[in-house]
Amino acid sequence: MAFDSAKYVLGQSLISLKRNIWLSVASILTVMISLTLLGSSLLFLANTSHIAKTFESQLEIAVFLNDKLNADQIIAIQNNIQNRDGVAAVTFTSKDQAIINFQESLGSKSLLEDLGGVNPFPNKLTVTATDARQVQNIASQVLGIAGVDKVRYGEGILEKLIVFTGWLRWIGIGVVAAFSFASFLLITLNIKTNLNFREKEIQIMRLVGASNSVIRWPFLLEGLIIGLFGAGLAVILVGTGYSWLLQYIVATLAFMPVVADQMFLMLVLFIMILSGMIMGALASVFSIRKFLEF
Amino acid sequence: MIKLRNVSKIYPNGARALSNISLEIAKGEFVFLVGQSGAGKSTLIKLLYREEVATRGQVYINNANLIRLKPHQVPLVRRNIGVIFQDFKLLPTKTVFENVAFAQHVIGKNKKESKASTENMLELVGLGRKKNAFPSELSGGEQQRVCVARALVNHPSLLVADEPTGNLDMETAWGIMELLNHINKLGTTVVMATHAMQIVKQMNKRVVRVEEGKIAEDTAEGAYKFGF
Repeated sequence: MAFDSAKYVLGQSLISLKRNIWLSVASILTVMISLTLLGSSLLFLANTSHIAKTFESQLEIAVFLNDKLNADQIIAIQNNIQNRDGVAAVTFTSKDQAIINFQESLGSKSLLEDLGGVNPFPNKLTVTATDARQVQNIASQVLGIAGVDKVRYGEGILEKLIVFTGWLRWIGIGVVAAFSFASFLLITLNIKTNLNFREKEIQIMRLVGASNSVIRWPFLLEGLIIGLFGAGLAVILVGTGYSWLLQYIVATLAFMPVVADQMFLMLVLFIMILSGMIMGALASVFSIRKFLEF
Repeated sequence: MIKLRNVSKIYPNGARALSNISLEIAKGEFVFLVGQSGAGKSTLIKLLYREEVATRGQVYINNANLIRLKPHQVPLVRRNIGVIFQDFKLLPTKTVFENVAFAQHVIGKNKKESKASTENMLELVGLGRKKNAFPSELSGGEQQRVCVARALVNHPSLLVADEPTGNLDMETAWGIMELLNHINKLGTTVVMATHAMQIVKQMNKRVVRVEEGKIAEDTAEGAYKFGF
């Protein structure tokens, strides 16, 4: 009995999809377009935040220490900074290491000797912030610590960068919001068309004594199938489109920090499939809900 | 079979369709509901298959109180009531056979059970040879026969009909009336709202006249006098 019902429901869904072929095609295309918009805007948002984050993560505060400090005092200052709000990490570069680094960057082997044995580099702490907007605040706090001679944090550039990355994030969110709204409109429109076609069918099902679940299931299944097909097409479009775009950017704009993580792309595509099926099923359920009140 | 007690129906827009109606119809009766358009016939019919719920009063069908039904009980009551309409309400994308079989599938009958009873019912209404046609390929009278078959395929004890001959020519209408009469003789109670006085006159059944939402006249079988 249960098997018969399930078979009947599946059969009805498939027959209905076939007999209303143009409506089915229109619905599948609607889901495809909506999810392509959604998927692309998600990838766009991910990339804009990634770009913003990459730029911001390159912001560092260089804290130059007084040469008279001993090792314990340096560790105390390091801990002092580390424990402040908004500080992500503090790394120490000794003056000996600093000259070696500089020497290597010059390609020289005898810099210290050339300088007459005097190392002009101070001991340095490199501070990174959890949020770029905290950089200025942390820098001024650190400057007040005894033993700190000088603090450098890219003054002037920092403020402009924060404004720029802020905009970048808002544009990303704006694109997702606009595209989600467009998708919503498309789906709503499609449901309304569906309803006009289906109103009579539901009315008759109710009339002959069909229970709500019997009425709901074929529609739900139909919605799921439409959602799945639409999402499948959208995944192919977005997946190949993004891969192509990645190759193009890597080849021509190598400095651009793009999200090339395969796992992330898979996740987005999976979200699209899932949203497609949920969208299809929910659209069906919502569209028939008002007809199911006795 | 059917018992209406002090039933009133006021629609949400304030329109009063029925005022304090009481009516009893026994099992196996054939009753015509007559009256002018807007008198309340269709509302009365809708109360019987629980498409509308009375604002006041009680409606009993086979001892079930339709006013107090829980939503999940409504489909069960409807399975025992066949309904036919003036505009047929057939599914255009289903064949004649499927339109009738559909009524059984949705209440959980399996294919084997429903195939035999669908074919029997189509034979009864004289459409055995057109079972694979789509509604658009049928005449009005044939479409109404499909509706009758669909309404009766689950063997309801009550058949309600809202202007079933309204869209048909006289000759075709008579064909449908003969069918309804035949079904009534097999034991199904029939309640039919109609404007076709010629049919009411000739059929000689019980007639309930509705006027401005009230029962103006209730005449026993064979006693209805025509004059309005």
